[in-house]
Amino acid sequence: MSGGPAVRVSIESSCEKQVQEVALDGTETYVPPLSMSQNLAKLAQRIDFSQGSDSEEDGAEGEPRDREWGKQEQEEEEGTVKFQPSLWPWDSVRNNLRSALTEMCVLYDVLSVVKEKKYMALDPVSQDPTAGKTPQVFQLISKKKSLAIAAQLLVKGAEKLSKSVTENQENRRQRDFNSELLRLRSQWKLRKVGDKILGDLSYRSAGSLFPHHGTFEVIKNTDIDLDKKIPEDYCPLDVLIPSDLDGSAYIKVSIQKQAPDIGDLGTVNLFRRPQKNKGSMQPWHVKLEAAQNVLLCKEIFAQLSREAVQIKSQIPHIVVKNQIISQPFPGLQLSISLCHSTSGEKKNNRASPEKSKPDNHLYVLEHNLHQMMREFHKQQLSSVVMPHPATAPFGHKRLRLAGPLAYDKTEISNLQQSEGLLEKIIKQAKHIFLRSRTARTIDSLASRIEDPQIQAHWSNINDVYESSVKVLITSQGYEQICKSIQLQLNIGVEQIRVVHRDGRVITLSHQEQELQDFLLSQMSQHQVHAVQQLAKVMGWHVLSFSNHVGLGPVESIGNASAVTVASPNGEYAISVRNGPESGCKVLVQFPRSQIKELPKSDIIQDAKWSHLRGPYKEVHWSKMEGRNFVYKMELLMAALTPCP
Amino acid sequence: MEAPPVTVMPVTGGTINMMEYLLQGSVLDQALDSLLHRLRGLCDSMEPETFTDHELVYLLKGQQGNPFILRARRSLSHPNTPWHLRYLGQPEVGDKSRHALVRNCVDVATSHSLPEFLNEMGFRMDHEFVATGHMFRKGAMKIVVSKLSRILVPGNTENTERLSLSYLVELSVLAPAGQDTVSEDMRSFAEQLKPLIHLEKIDPSKQRH
Repeated sequence: MSGGPAVRVSIESSCEKQVQEVALDGTETYVPPLSMSQNLAKLAQRIDFSQGSDSEEDGAEGEPRDREWGKQEQEEEEGTVKFQPSLWPWDSVRNNLRSALTEMCVLYDVLSVVKEKKYMALDPVSQDPTAGKTPQVFQLISKKKSLAIAAQLLVKGAEKLSKSVTENQENRRQRDFNSELLRLRSQWKLRKVGDKILGDLSYRSAGSLFPHHGTFEVIKNTDIDLDKKIPEDYCPLDVLIPSDLDGSAYIKVSIQKQAPDIGDLGTVNLFRRPQKNKGSMQPWHVKLEAAQNVLLCKEIFAQLSREAVQIKSQIPHIVVKNQIISQPFPGLQLSISLCHSTSGEKKNNRASPEKSKPDNHLYVLEHNLHQMMREFHKQQLSSVVMPHPATAPFGHKRLRLAGPLAYDKTEISNLQQSEGLLEKIIKQAKHIFLRSRTARTIDSLASRIEDPQIQAHWSNINDVYESSVKVLITSQGYEQICKSIQLQLNIGVEQIRVVHRDGRVITLSHQEQELQDFLLSQMSQHQVHAVQQLAKVMGWHVLSFSNHVGLGPVESIGNASAVTVASPNGEYAISVRNGPESGCKVLVQFPRSQIKELPKSDIIQDAKWSHLRGPYKEVHWSKMEGRNFVYKMELLMAALTPCP
Repeated sequence: MEAPPVTVMPVTGGTINMMEYLLQGSVLDQALDSLLHRLRGLCDSMEPETFTDHELVYLLKGQQGNPFILRARRSLSHPNTPWHLRYLGQPEVGDKSRHALVRNCVDVATSHSLPEFLNEMGFRMDHEFVATGHMFRKGAMKIVVSKLSRILVPGNTENTERLSLSYLVELSVLAPAGQDTVSEDMRSFAEQLKPLIHLEKIDPSKQRH
């Protein structure tokens, strides 16, 4: 109300905290307010765990209770209304806790009962076999099924793999062009010019100076009918080689007796050697190799013919068409010919009559020609050509040295390799011929003459220009005693050098007769040497020995040799004279006492003189018993040595 | 004393009228192996050849501006081979389309008294260096891969120091004058060496300051 005196209204907040005590001096002690945990505890104390409204157990009971309470609905409504709002946040907590407590209690009860073992006992479950089998069978069946499924999967996968592999192989067999090209490139030089692929099959990068270009072209093989079955040897890649390198070629080197008629030359047998194509080589490889061989043969022949024309020799070489003829020895002819058969020619060339004759083609010399050509190529590329210092121009070292060291023409020509290909091959041919003729001579002598025996031991390792053979002349059965004739023959290009065991060195020419005569003379000398050796063994004394006697008939081959040996008691003496032509003559000297008619003489009175050796008597050597000369001699000596 | 008169005209006549066709490039040390492999495959099949050379460059200063240069080279790996004296003329100013550097070249093999002879003639040594490396050839083409080293003490070829971390590659052909097909072959060969190395013509006159 306004207008009145101001009334003092004092407002005091209500006491939030309860007063616990009032002290005598008026101070109030408040009850400390509850902390959060204390408040929570107070609220929790209000929960009545005995009443659970949401639990299932209570739910079952709740139903009859509901029926009961249906009568006392109102009363219970109040009750439910009464506790619902205060416990609402704690409801689920209370229920969970209650159920947990229940479970724990049950567990505790069970465990305590079991522990007592009075009312309840725990027994392990026994493994009943009959009961267990059935699950094992099931296990087995289930495992089998799963394994079968797994196996099926694997088999399917393997099938797929093998199918793809065979497909791959099919593709490889079908030979894709690019893969073939790759294979070709790994073995031959290829380059791309514009849209063409060209290759080089010449030896130019290996040092050859032959002016042939040697270019081949690589093309795709498109003449294939895709509808028909692809043939076995189909190759998607084909090579075009130059027309003059077509077919196959080889160089034939042969030695024959000089043809009386020089007219029909130059038409050499184009005998075609059969081409054996190994299945593993691709057709283009075979083609390219054959073309390269043709090129090399052409180069060899060109070099040989150039030398044949340029080099001056005593007997000029003849170059006709595809043949070079030269004369290594008189009466002998060496022919080198280039046999090139193109694939266009059929078999009806002159091959047929040639097949009947034995082919006297010297394969060794053909191989040597190829080798020498390649040596020449290598020479071109040798480090002798590379300049040191590096900026100097290319060229042989010899020419570079010639200037500063002031060589004159003779010195330069001395440094140069003077022998050409043709000279080398002729020398080799000569040597081969000489060697074969020597062998033939020795063999013919060995087969013709039985006593003494001739043995030849050829050395395995020879040079192209030199071979050697050791010739031994022995008598059968007396090899250890009579081994004085041992000859070492060194067969060179044109001569044979003989080294005797006693140190003599004799040079024989290429004539066959010389060697034969020499060997015959050595054989006759051997017989006499054998007598000498035999005498030593038998105890006979050698009275005289001569390799070359000057008496008796003159031999046309060599000289005769003679030896005289005396018996141990001196009573008998044997004289042997052996010549290569005149054969052997054996004479025996008897003591005088064996003469039938001893001339009585007044001067020789004493009987002891009758023991001296006197007259000679010739032995019919051919009627003598014995296998060979030395055996016969041994028997003779034995017969003339009386037993004591 | 006056220097003897020097003729600057190139020497003509006889068989010494040869031209050198040159292409140059360089590779780093790391790329050397691959380059050597490539060259071994492309060039003529030979044993790879290494060399060690000692080159001296002599100058003759005349009254005119340009001095006369002669190069004397000897091999350290083959001491008995003769010295090599070389004169290189000015590069021919031809059409720009020519792919290689062309210059007149005179090569003479000499005895071992060359340095004294040149000194007597009036030449003075300008500089010297040691080159080591590999040589290849393909037909008439020569490919030289060399590492240059500087000589620290004049006259002592043992004590050297590398000039750079790369190798100099030169492709050269000696041919008589007038053969232009040579440069075509050189160019196609140089194409095969790309991208390992780019060989091109480098004019030495443009290099000088």
